[in-house]
Amino acid sequence: MNRLLASIKKELLLLSRDRAGLAMLFLMPVFLVLVMTLLQDSTFKKLNEKQLPILIVNHDADTFGINIVKGLNSANFFKVSEDNNLSKKELEKQIEKGNYLIGIIINENSTNLIKNSIKQKIQSQFPEEVGELFEIDGNKTDQVKVEIFFDPVLKNSYKQSIMGALKQFSAMVEAKLMFEIYSSLFDELLEIELKPTENFSQLVFFDEKYAASDQNLIIPNSVQHNVPAWTIFAMFFIVIPLASNIIKERQSGVSERLRTIPGSNLIGILAKAKTYFIVGFIQAILMLMIGIWLLPVFGLPSLQIGKNGLSLLFVTIAIIMAATSYGIVIGTIANSEQQSSIFGSISVVILAAIGGVWVPNFMMSDLMVNVSKISPLNWGLNAYYDIFLRNSGLYDVLPSIGLLVGFAFVCLLISLYYSRKVKT
Amino acid sequence: MSQEPIIKISQLVKKYKGSSVNAVDSLDLTINEGDIFGLLGPNGAGKTTTISMLCSLMSPNSGSIIINGIELNGNNNELKKIIGVVPQEIALYENLTAKENLKFFGEMYGLSGKSLNDKIEFYLNKFSLKEKSDKLINTFSGGMKRRLNLIAGLLHSPRILFLDEPTVGIDVQSKNVIIEYLKELNKEGTTIVYTSHLMEEAENFCTNISIIDFGKEIAKGTPKELIKENTDCNNLKEIFLKLTGRSVRE
Ligand SMILES: Nc1ncnc2c1ncn2[C@@H]1O[C@H](COP(=O)(O)OP(=O)(O)O)[C@@H](O)[C@H]1O
Ligand SMILES: [Mg+2]
Repeated sequence: MNRLLASIKKELLLLSRDRAGLAMLFLMPVFLVLVMTLLQDSTFKKLNEKQLPILIVNHDADTFGINIVKGLNSANFFKVSEDNNLSKKELEKQIEKGNYLIGIIINENSTNLIKNSIKQKIQSQFPEEVGELFEIDGNKTDQVKVEIFFDPVLKNSYKQSIMGALKQFSAMVEAKLMFEIYSSLFDELLEIELKPTENFSQLVFFDEKYAASDQNLIIPNSVQHNVPAWTIFAMFFIVIPLASNIIKERQSGVSERLRTIPGSNLIGILAKAKTYFIVGFIQAILMLMIGIWLLPVFGLPSLQIGKNGLSLLFVTIAIIMAATSYGIVIGTIANSEQQSSIFGSISVVILAAIGGVWVPNFMMSDLMVNVSKISPLNWGLNAYYDIFLRNSGLYDVLPSIGLLVGFAFVCLLISLYYSRKVKT
Repeated sequence: MSQEPIIKISQLVKKYKGSSVNAVDSLDLTINEGDIFGLLGPNGAGKTTTISMLCSLMSPNSGSIIINGIELNGNNNELKKIIGVVPQEIALYENLTAKENLKFFGEMYGLSGKSLNDKIEFYLNKFSLKEKSDKLINTFSGGMKRRLNLIAGLLHSPRILFLDEPTVGIDVQSKNVIIEYLKELNKEGTTIVYTSHLMEEAENFCTNISIIDFGKEIAKGTPKELIKENTDCNNLKEIFLKLTGRSVRE
């Protein structure tokens, strides 16, 4: 135990003298989390808006136009602004500026066009002997065109939901118009006055529920994403000072000297693991504190860490285990400090990129979401999301913890195998 | 002097992976307690390889090593306690001070507290490192590092001390301090096994020597005996050159 303490003390001393290493472990993530959170704040806000801002230019002051606007307004999902004096150019500009995510133009005469099409269809059902039932303006039978503009940041699923809503509303309007036309026809032909119907819009009621376990439905804000993401990133940068420490010991002959000292075979590696455990914990606590107290100073929301302290603790431990083991395996396999620093930093940056640290999973294509699943940083990040955003308990984050710990074991096994091989 | 030798090596063979020749080739050595034993040979002769096997840092392909009556195989903590090792490289932490280095290695040997601190003070004084004891050793000269490298192997007062080229490439004063102290230690009973390719130094330092080349022993005895046997040579260096040739090694 004394030896272990002596080794930990030594590792801490060495680390305290490694200015570049300290900067990398503590200053870099603080800087990154500040910059990235601020940079991505507005993007996340847009994505996160509960109500999608829609700008409508309605040139059809008749059944169709009015009902579409009414329909969109009544769906809580959208925040509808109407400005009928805007030109197409001006509307596009508003979308480009990011003031609205969706722009819709309803063209003049849309209602009349629909009516004409319906009348034509009814007319065609009757034998020719009946003669003309309606006055139809023969030229105005083109299809009604509704123009829609999307902000490119808009997720596909949102596009689909707005399209779905529009199709639903126009089907309703069509049905309503058809009903009206038939009614008036009955009036004329049978000379019966039909009572007006009001509500036939919803014969089927759709009960919408969100499955909370669906990863894509909950979108974090910039703080909720960036703080855990860069914390994990920083913890994985443990790899570089740790690996270079191992290599320095090997190259200087210190590790051979230690092997001639009785009973110290495993102590060295154990001490390193424990030391970097301490470092990882300090990093995690530092970053959480920044999220909770410093970011609000910059006008950002404060980090919400959920209520599950135990899950948070275990996930953090699992991430540090994965990171230290990864450092140990790189330190064991690499031939030089330079090699380990280059390979270590590049691999961590790549794993971070595919793991959703830079660009979060929910902004990725389905292909990249699948690719991201191979990154240990992604396992950690998803576990943090679970805890922060969904209050997940230990049981829910167990799969992520399992993956991280499994990764750690694989790394340690490889190092063990490799160091055995090198000795003889 | 008919006691059991403290170290007995028999038919020791070591062949590195990927190498076509034996680095140590059927080597027999006998070292008695109280000897200053010189394992001498040109670069690449197999000195470091032999020392590494004696310290359990690597295992031989065949042959046996018996130290203090115990046959070496794998990890033997009892033996590790009685040996001290001073490696050929400076096996120290560049970013720790002299004191921090010694304290760490001392603690790894299970020493602590006042007895460890006293020892560290004693050696730092002995080897004139007191003034710089709180400086990082990456600021040290070669001679200072060598002296510190030596101390790190002495702290636990080993019965057998292995030194791999402890005086190579350093100033005359440092060499002198090291050799004089090793003699002192030997007088107090420490068995010293020392490798070198510096023949003048070995001639007046060692009580027994073995000259090896290409992993094989080519001469052994006391320096005096060897000079007597080789009537055409006046000193160890001439014998060495005669036996190992004048061509330049690795
Ligand atoms: N790790 C190694 N792998 C392969 N060959 C080695 C290794 N270490 C030493 N050798 C070779 O073994 C021979 C003996 O080396 P060594 O024991 O270091 O010699 P010395 O210490 O006498 O200079 C040399 O030919 C050297 O090149
Ligand atoms: Mg050597």
